[in-house]
Amino acid sequence: MRDLLAFLMSIRWQDLVDILFNSYILFRIYVLFQGTNAFRVLVGVTSLWILQEVAASMGLILTSWVLRGITAAAAIIIIVVFRNEIRSALQARNLKNFLWGSPNQEHATPVEIIAESAYQMGRKRVGALMVVPGSEDFSEIVHGGIPWNGSLSQEMLLSIFWPKNPVHDGAIIVQNNRVTEVGVLLPLSQRMDLPTFYGTRHRAAAGLAERTDALVVVVSEERGRVTVAKDQTIKPVAQPEELVQILNEHLNVFDLSAQQKKRERLRLTLAAVVSLIIVTGIWFGFTRSRDTFIALNVPIEYVNRPAPLEILNTSVDEVRLQLYGSSALIRSLQPGQVQVRINLGKASEGHNTLPLTQENIVLPPGVFLNKVEPAAVEVMLDIPITKQLPVQVQWVGRLPENLLLKEVKVVPDTVQVIGGSKILENVHTIYTSPVRLNNLTKSGSFTATLVLTPASLKLSAASPERVTISYVIEERRPIDRRTNLNLRQDYACIDRGHRSKPAQEISLAGLFWLDHRLTARPHAEDARL
Amino acid sequence: MKVTAWKLLVFHFLAFVLTALPCAVAAQNNDTEEPNVQTSAPEGTLEKLTLTQAFMCEKVENNTPINQAAVFSVSVGQVCCFTSFDPVPQPTLIYHKWYHSDDPSTQIRLRLYPPLWSTYSQIQLRETDKGPWRVEVIDQNGKVFDVIRFSITD
Repeated sequence: MRDLLAFLMSIRWQDLVDILFNSYILFRIYVLFQGTNAFRVLVGVTSLWILQEVAASMGLILTSWVLRGITAAAAIIIIVVFRNEIRSALQARNLKNFLWGSPNQEHATPVEIIAESAYQMGRKRVGALMVVPGSEDFSEIVHGGIPWNGSLSQEMLLSIFWPKNPVHDGAIIVQNNRVTEVGVLLPLSQRMDLPTFYGTRHRAAAGLAERTDALVVVVSEERGRVTVAKDQTIKPVAQPEELVQILNEHLNVFDLSAQQKKRERLRLTLAAVVSLIIVTGIWFGFTRSRDTFIALNVPIEYVNRPAPLEILNTSVDEVRLQLYGSSALIRSLQPGQVQVRINLGKASEGHNTLPLTQENIVLPPGVFLNKVEPAAVEVMLDIPITKQLPVQVQWVGRLPENLLLKEVKVVPDTVQVIGGSKILENVHTIYTSPVRLNNLTKSGSFTATLVLTPASLKLSAASPERVTISYVIEERRPIDRRTNLNLRQDYACIDRGHRSKPAQEISLAGLFWLDHRLTARPHAEDARL
Repeated sequence: MKVTAWKLLVFHFLAFVLTALPCAVAAQNNDTEEPNVQTSAPEGTLEKLTLTQAFMCEKVENNTPINQAAVFSVSVGQVCCFTSFDPVPQPTLIYHKWYHSDDPSTQIRLRLYPPLWSTYSQIQLRETDKGPWRVEVIDQNGKVFDVIRFSITD
């Protein structure tokens, strides 16, 4: 009892709406398509699908495979073959009827007016051709119609077929209580067994009736007789009451008895209950079972980034979500259905730690979050700036032993780089791509690309992507004492007693005592050693 | 009178000992131990400390830079940064700041003496030192005289 209560308490109002809405859709599909060929085939395909599921659960590999193929093919065939029926059923002649009413209750067409008018025109020897459509769409068979869309009345019918009216020769199409088109040209029947006194008007009526489920009423101009063409039959109708009955039968309008009405109501109620049971069963199967777990890596979306700031770095690009739900829902999960969004609206410049909670994760209904890793994301936001940076060649490899790379010149020697201020704070040099020394034997020049690290850095439009490197290579020369003496004059000099003397004075005193005083004690002060 | 003169003599001797001797000792110490390094140029000095040469070389032998270059093999074992200043208006300190791929590696303090002076710093090379390097020659106030760029390769 307690379990039942807990279960009932766990049902949300959204779940009830979900079940009721889908039950109603199923019920309406039944109401709109009942009695049609498409509905019968739909029932057949549904049975095939159920069979296929049963076969799969029983491990019948070949059977389930064949049934799956047939079901898939049949679903496509239904849409192609019964497209006209489906279109007729779904065409919203009246939104209220589409959502609520029953096709059987659609008796808006004033059949009495049609019957009276037909016999009145017969008496006056006025020819007429009136089409009352069934459930099939025949717009591709007929042509030449002129839109009319006038309310059906006896006077209007008489005026349309009045011999001096320009559109009197064609057929009219009657839908509900309106004449939608006039002057419509119908396909002629090719039957050879029609009576010889049937003219073009009768052959046109028979032609459309043969090809569709429409009913066509013909009024003979010569004899004044009223004839009805339906399916393969074309027969004269003597009395207006008989024509009314035929039209009512065609439009599925019956004067139902109280018992028949009760039976009809019971049938619809039963259909509604069955729809509710089916949808509830499917819903429970889909959502209440929570036996399947899945782990997904989902990329993080950052939204509402403050305008001047840019994302420089994030601790992770995607998070690992552990989700659970029914196996059917988990299996049908699509990549776009699960989203992880982090709102940067309140983030500030610098380092931000943003926790990942249920609010950040968008899941489809019926799928639940068990765990998220990591629990927080580190986001570094920064303001983009430009900085002029020197370019340095990144040499690799080794020159031959006898050679020295004396000088290197890079043009341009600086480039302008765009990047986050925090990143550029620690970037002081832009290096070229690695340049191998092994093949260099004499002075020359070449171009090299620049390597921007980290990748978020960009070169400004004014800075080239390649730089020209000019270099000077010389051969190593043995150390010459005399050369040293000559060199000495270039350097500052003092004697060993730490007393400074001008270089010229020392030179005059004699080169022998000239000494390049190394005041630093480099080894002692090198912190690396 | 004689007593007074004798007292005056003793007083002057003591005054001389107490004032002149420490100065002489200080002067002696300055002369032999450390130069009188000033941290800033005195007012009215027209000459400015000027760097005339700065380059990298493989070694310094007999106070002479050997094999000036822009690329050095790690097998050389060491590399030197040689700098010359002319004029040097007064004793002062400069620094050679070594950077390996933009990361500070070491900073070496060097002394300069008037009227002109050459000095160098050097580092011993290891396998991990391969890559681009630069040495910044700066004074005590952080003024950069020059930046010398070079590479250590195989």
